[in-house]
Amino acid sequence: MKLLKEQLMKISKALVFDIKRFAIHDGSGLRTTVFFKGCPLRCLWCQNPEGLNTQRQVIYFKNKCIHCRCCQQFKEQINYQNDRPYFQNHQDFDQVIKTCPSGAIQYDSQEYTLDKLMNKIKEDEVFFQHGGGVTFSGGEPFMQGEFLIEILKRCQKEKIHTAIETSFYTSLELIKKALPYLDLVYIDLKIFDEQKHQACTNVSPQLIKENIRYVLQSEYKDKVIIRTPLIPTMSATDENIHQIVKFLIQINPEVKYEMLNYNSLASAKYELVNLKYRLESYQTFTKQQMQHFYDVALQAGIKNLIKE
Amino acid sequence: MNCLYQTKRISKLKEKMLSSKRYASIEQARIITRVYQENEELSIPKKRALSLKAALEKLEISVEDEELIVGNRTKGVRYGVVFPESGCSWINQEFETLPTRPQDQFLVKEEDIKEFREKIYPYWKGKSLEDAIKGTYGKEINEISKVVKINQKDHAQGHICPDSALWLKLGPQGLMEKAKEKLKNCKDEQKEFYECTILVLEGAVHFMQRYHDLIEREKIESLKEVGKICTNLSKRPPETFHEAVQSLWFLFVILHMESNASSFSPGRMDQYLYPYYQRDIEKGSLTKQEALEILECLWLKFNQVVYLRNQNSAKYFAGFPIGFNIAIGGVDEKGNDTYNDLSLLCLKAQEHLGLPQPNLSVRLNKNSSHELMQAAIKVVSLGSGMPQFFNDEAIIQPMIEDLGIEEKDARNYAIVGCVELTTHGNNLGWSDAAMFNLNKVLELTLNHGKCLLTKQQIGLDLGSLETYQTYQDLENAFQKQIDYFIDKMMATEKIVEKAHQDYLPTAFLSTVIDDCLEKGLDVTKGGAKYNLSGIQMIQVANLADSLAAIKQLVYDDKMISQHDLLNALQEDFKGYEIMQTMLLNKVPKYGNDVKWVDELGNQWACYFREKMKRYTNYRGGPYHTGMYTVSAHVPMGENVGASPDGRNALKPLADGGMSPVYGRDLQGPTAVLKSVSKLNNSCTTNGGLLNMKFLPEFFKTETGCLKFENFLRAFVDLKVPHIQFNVVRKEDLLDAKVHPENHQSLTIRVAGYTAYFVELAGKLQDEIIERTTYENI
Repeated sequence: MKLLKEQLMKISKALVFDIKRFAIHDGSGLRTTVFFKGCPLRCLWCQNPEGLNTQRQVIYFKNKCIHCRCCQQFKEQINYQNDRPYFQNHQDFDQVIKTCPSGAIQYDSQEYTLDKLMNKIKEDEVFFQHGGGVTFSGGEPFMQGEFLIEILKRCQKEKIHTAIETSFYTSLELIKKALPYLDLVYIDLKIFDEQKHQACTNVSPQLIKENIRYVLQSEYKDKVIIRTPLIPTMSATDENIHQIVKFLIQINPEVKYEMLNYNSLASAKYELVNLKYRLESYQTFTKQQMQHFYDVALQAGIKNLIKE
Repeated sequence: MNCLYQTKRISKLKEKMLSSKRYASIEQARIITRVYQENEELSIPKKRALSLKAALEKLEISVEDEELIVGNRTKGVRYGVVFPESGCSWINQEFETLPTRPQDQFLVKEEDIKEFREKIYPYWKGKSLEDAIKGTYGKEINEISKVVKINQKDHAQGHICPDSALWLKLGPQGLMEKAKEKLKNCKDEQKEFYECTILVLEGAVHFMQRYHDLIEREKIESLKEVGKICTNLSKRPPETFHEAVQSLWFLFVILHMESNASSFSPGRMDQYLYPYYQRDIEKGSLTKQEALEILECLWLKFNQVVYLRNQNSAKYFAGFPIGFNIAIGGVDEKGNDTYNDLSLLCLKAQEHLGLPQPNLSVRLNKNSSHELMQAAIKVVSLGSGMPQFFNDEAIIQPMIEDLGIEEKDARNYAIVGCVELTTHGNNLGWSDAAMFNLNKVLELTLNHGKCLLTKQQIGLDLGSLETYQTYQDLENAFQKQIDYFIDKMMATEKIVEKAHQDYLPTAFLSTVIDDCLEKGLDVTKGGAKYNLSGIQMIQVANLADSLAAIKQLVYDDKMISQHDLLNALQEDFKGYEIMQTMLLNKVPKYGNDVKWVDELGNQWACYFREKMKRYTNYRGGPYHTGMYTVSAHVPMGENVGASPDGRNALKPLADGGMSPVYGRDLQGPTAVLKSVSKLNNSCTTNGGLLNMKFLPEFFKTETGCLKFENFLRAFVDLKVPHIQFNVVRKEDLLDAKVHPENHQSLTIRVAGYTAYFVELAGKLQDEIIERTTYENI
């Protein structure tokens, strides 16, 4: 009985750490991107560190704080070091947040019911009518897979174009349930080599590869774009790209493949969640360098290469 | 269109124009004064007509080597014209400060000041429009000036779109024949009107011929062809495209000479010039490149007429917004979308020149073409803030329903000045009759009718924030206070309009505004087919934010007491910084697609609009409203004390008119459009203004431009009347780094996400600034 209730909760509510309207880089047209909280991977270069943890946390925006000390009345919940509050997590912070006049103290995420999320998505419906839609991202959206499938069904019913950005590190069962309701599927295949993948993301790529093999052979194969984020010294090597492409075209020679340029600006959010950015700073790849990677992929036999 | 280029002729002329110095000129004032002195016994309309005729015949004129379009109202370019009939006192007071004042400076010549003081000013004392209004109603205007800014007190009414097609079809000769014909059988009271129009049209003919004579006399080889055109136009209407453009420019020069007003706008030029263009192209006597060069010469001309305002007015309308507004695209009289080569050539000219004039507008609708939109987007991406976009779907219907304008006239709407809407060639719209500061009225409502800045009693004492038991009580008082100032404003408006009839009849303008010639009635007296007056509401965004803060934090959630908030406002938040932070952060703001807040703005805009329906203007036409401020949000803000939205005393109000307060729209551009779309379009029949900022990077790729088109198409669907874009440059980002509080909503693409620039770490900001400079993303 208890299990059933928990399951129901899972379907009816999701933890979302951000909703960006006017998203222009996550699929066709003007989109709303929903960022689900929680991720099974721990990529060293992660761009959304606040999306890793599955729990709701309190975060502190240093730039917003006016140092009014209104929060000092909640001594049991907050410690101060160097004029910065640190939070005893897993507590109810509603009162603290309500009291903070500047909004410097906030939850990093919000719970959404299906209705609430659907209403939020529909706010920009008029913009979707000219080629846009909704994109589910994260974190890993499949971490809250049951809810994801329900919201996808709703979107399809409302004729809203749907896309997903996923690591595919999830159960095939969930994937199969979601695919009929998706119009566009972005799947990351970051590193081909088993050990390197494990070292850089904290998980084995085996499950990801199996799931990709399934989807590229399924009736949904045309909706799929496989992506590799180019991280210097990790995924951005000739060998890695060669291996990934060989693997993909062997399953489906028509597969669409895209490489995403490294973005050196990810470290900004780490301070918010009090985490350390563990990557050295690298430069973005130049046009020539990108061309080199394109050439590697083409030589390995990719037919449908998506360029920037 | 892509192979068209800017010729050397244009670059040379542009350079020359921009390097010339700007002076205040008294030449026309001298001529007008002489004519008035020599004809004391005649009526004002006659004296006005004779003095315009004299100016057309006597003013020193000049031409520039190689220009394809000639004519100006002063010998030098960009001269500010001293115009005694409308106002002399302010010039007398401010003449010496013209070169050094903070906004819109002009050089002056010592001998001009002397002549003005000795010969011109003494004659006009008590005889100008300005003095007449001051004399009869100055006190009343002054009493309400903190709340209502009455305009057109010392200059003639502009913001008019003449019937250029009629002018091109008939020319001054044809119009004169019409007037002469009418004069034969007219009533006695119409006689003077027709006589005046004949006088000014004679002057117009003479004016054109003088340019031919000058070119011949000075034997300027490069202008021979142009000289021929001028003499042709003095004899008959234009036949070629080049003649038509030259004729059009003469029309606008003469209108400015007659009225020295801001914003006579050409309107739908791509429509009425097209037959001339098409005929020449088909004959093979004109190429696209040649047509573009002629247009670009006209574009340069649009930048050579500036308008001299008094110091205070220059603050409200900073940067010489003279407003040669051109509207391209849009539906035709049958409702079908229409655009042509000329629409695209207009965009090309703007792309090449990037100057402040003309004020280029694109009319959009459900069926706007991809080609026109992409051409327009290309120009937007260059960052001149042009073209701006108007929405047929939002504008036409309210014109018909709220103002009783015929469908074909509404479909043929044009824009005058900045964003003011008008019908084409048959309307005295009297835009910007006054600006009504709703935020000041709220301030008075909260504080016993007393100004927070001066403590003076200027409104009704209906209580204060402390005494209103409920939010509803407060709203009731606010409504009464609004009514009080509207009544005062309307009484003043009648005085101003009457003074214009008495002192500034405009015979020449009346020949190109439909129905004046038919009716034998000057345009200031109601000769136009449509006679509107527009009042601007200032500013709904701050008002919505203030009311939302009071409603939620004071009355609903009781997080702030009535007493404390009133005190905080009185103290300009000194000692109340935490409360101010709460007001700014703990309640939603207009522009974030939060229905109840947006609705507060709309509710009062609609109240004001409805109230206007009860009044009729002096010409017998209806009042309507608009939401645009030009630069007035700054001086209007200087009149307002601290406000419940968390704004400090004296600080600017929201820019634009429909725009959210800068920095408070935190949900991105789609949310802004949604919020603005909640404003009832009946409230903006005189025009609305929405500003938005984008980064240049958005337009770098074809995909970006296509997504921008998607955005504009949604703007059309949402029935928002107007939008314009600032494409943000590096300087803005640098400023955002130093003053983050002013740039809260500036968003930037960081990685797989878009972030608020000011929330990023300093180093990261630097990096983004760098990469923006190199433009390599």
